[in-house]
Amino acid sequence: MPLIAFFLLAMTQPDTLRQSAMQSLVPPTIGQWAVSEAVRFYTGAEIFDYMDGAGEVYLAYGSRRLLVQRYARPNQEEILVEIFDMGLPRNAFGAYSNMQGRAPMRRIGQEAEYKNGLLTFWKGRFFVCVMIDHENDEATKAVLALGRHIADAIREEGAKPGILDLLPKGKYLPATLRYFYRHEILNIHFYLASANLLSLNEKTHAVLVRITGDKSHLLLIQYPNVAEAVTAYATFTAHYMPDAGETGAVKTENKRWTAAIRQGACIAVVFDARTQSGARALLESVRRKLP
Amino acid sequence: MSESTMTRRDFLRTTAAAAVVGSAGMPFLGRQAVKKEAKVVLTRHRNVVDADWKLNKQIIDEMIDEAVTVLFDVKTPGDAWKKMVNPSDIVGIKTNVWRYLRTPQDLEQTMKSRLVAAGVQEKNIGIDDRGVLFNPVFTQATALINVRPMRAHNWSGVGGCLKNYIMFTQSPPDYHSDSCVNLGALWKLPHVHGKTRLNVLLMLTPQFHCTGPHHFDKEHTWLYKGMIVGTDPVAVDAVGLKIIEARRKEYFKEESPMRPPVTHIAAAERKHGIGVADLNKIEIVRLGWKEGALI
Repeated sequence: MPLIAFFLLAMTQPDTLRQSAMQSLVPPTIGQWAVSEAVRFYTGAEIFDYMDGAGEVYLAYGSRRLLVQRYARPNQEEILVEIFDMGLPRNAFGAYSNMQGRAPMRRIGQEAEYKNGLLTFWKGRFFVCVMIDHENDEATKAVLALGRHIADAIREEGAKPGILDLLPKGKYLPATLRYFYRHEILNIHFYLASANLLSLNEKTHAVLVRITGDKSHLLLIQYPNVAEAVTAYATFTAHYMPDAGETGAVKTENKRWTAAIRQGACIAVVFDARTQSGARALLESVRRKLP
Repeated sequence: MSESTMTRRDFLRTTAAAAVVGSAGMPFLGRQAVKKEAKVVLTRHRNVVDADWKLNKQIIDEMIDEAVTVLFDVKTPGDAWKKMVNPSDIVGIKTNVWRYLRTPQDLEQTMKSRLVAAGVQEKNIGIDDRGVLFNPVFTQATALINVRPMRAHNWSGVGGCLKNYIMFTQSPPDYHSDSCVNLGALWKLPHVHGKTRLNVLLMLTPQFHCTGPHHFDKEHTWLYKGMIVGTDPVAVDAVGLKIIEARRKEYFKEESPMRPPVTHIAAAERKHGIGVADLNKIEIVRLGWKEGALI
């Protein structure tokens, strides 16, 4: 076998296998709906052939490959399935958390929500969307049945990121929880700065929640080592709250309080607290849980 | 760390100042009278779309006709279209086909019929979105008409007339950095530059909040029943953004700026010089239904 053919085979076969493994997750029919066109795959940046800027969100969560499958039934809604292979369970959970809080949860996959024709869930390293444009009873049932089929076909399960255990239980609104590791995602949920002031990257873990009561935002970041946390904390405080000085707290332009602490390899920041004492009390409760 | 880093606190300062005159992130020029440098027409009609989003074709035809007549300050809609195009023009109507909130096909066809009435040969008119780089009408186009709905966007803040030209590049990701701040550069591409004769930002059922990266929830739209028409895409988008921001505040019952913040509209003026983003310098002519205009 010529060398080039060998390399091509070596590169293509596992890829083809991964695609066929993904394709096996979607059934040929669901109820009276049947596959209406060939399944499509978008690998890495090919996602932009399917969607424009929104594809950046999935890439920021590490999306490796997207499967798109459509189902049709005469005189009924088209059902669209999108299965994202996010590479790692943390990425799949992150993509799910990026959208969560829309609706009551469903028992599909590891966590799921359904509202207005859109089912989203995650399981293992997969994030899945099943959707119709306009709801009706039959189509909604088909969406949920299709979701269950896909979830059952995914054999693996994945653990949620450990940083979630560091959050102060009972003090935040679970539906507002966002997990991520890129500053662009932080900026979607809470705009901090155009630059990456907190040095978020693939080796960090970050979680953002809104606090019950004063609706302030708590951002918690875990770095791979203390040195990176020290550097990030210095950069953040110098650029975002230089007027805080040694206190680590500042009243911002909207008359709310921002305060930050670093402990070990973690940074915690409270944004938009009603009072300085409230911000400090929250950070103290976080500090007690930090390693 | 770049010295040009823009933080949320910078935005808050700008917003506090701009609350007097304009939109978040837009240049602030103070209270003094400023010469109007751009003109847009905001037209609304109570019955153009019903609660089920069914469009009334007759009304939307009347709205676009009246809007272009006022915009070009002429006596009839036909006169307005003749100011926009010549019979020898090859015209691409850049539409938007996003499945949840597309440009109504009725309006596309109305625009096409108005172009034909202005003397443009039917074979020289194309309507396209994602195929503009390969559509022979668009590749030879001497004139462009830009029409799309306004919506919140998970990466650029909003998608309006400026963003609608992303399909004119072979590499859209090149324009994605920093919340798509450089979308204005698209308008300087050789096959686009100077060709746009009309921008129509549809505000019939605008989407003011994102459910997810490319998803949709009707709950985050409202029946605004309007459209913003102008020759300046930056001015049209700036006015649309102001309305979207006002709706967010009304819906969320607190200050709720677009997330991510919309940077590309102000940058289209400040950095790329393709139009006017400062609301203080935009003349807004209001036609039709006034209730709940939010601007």
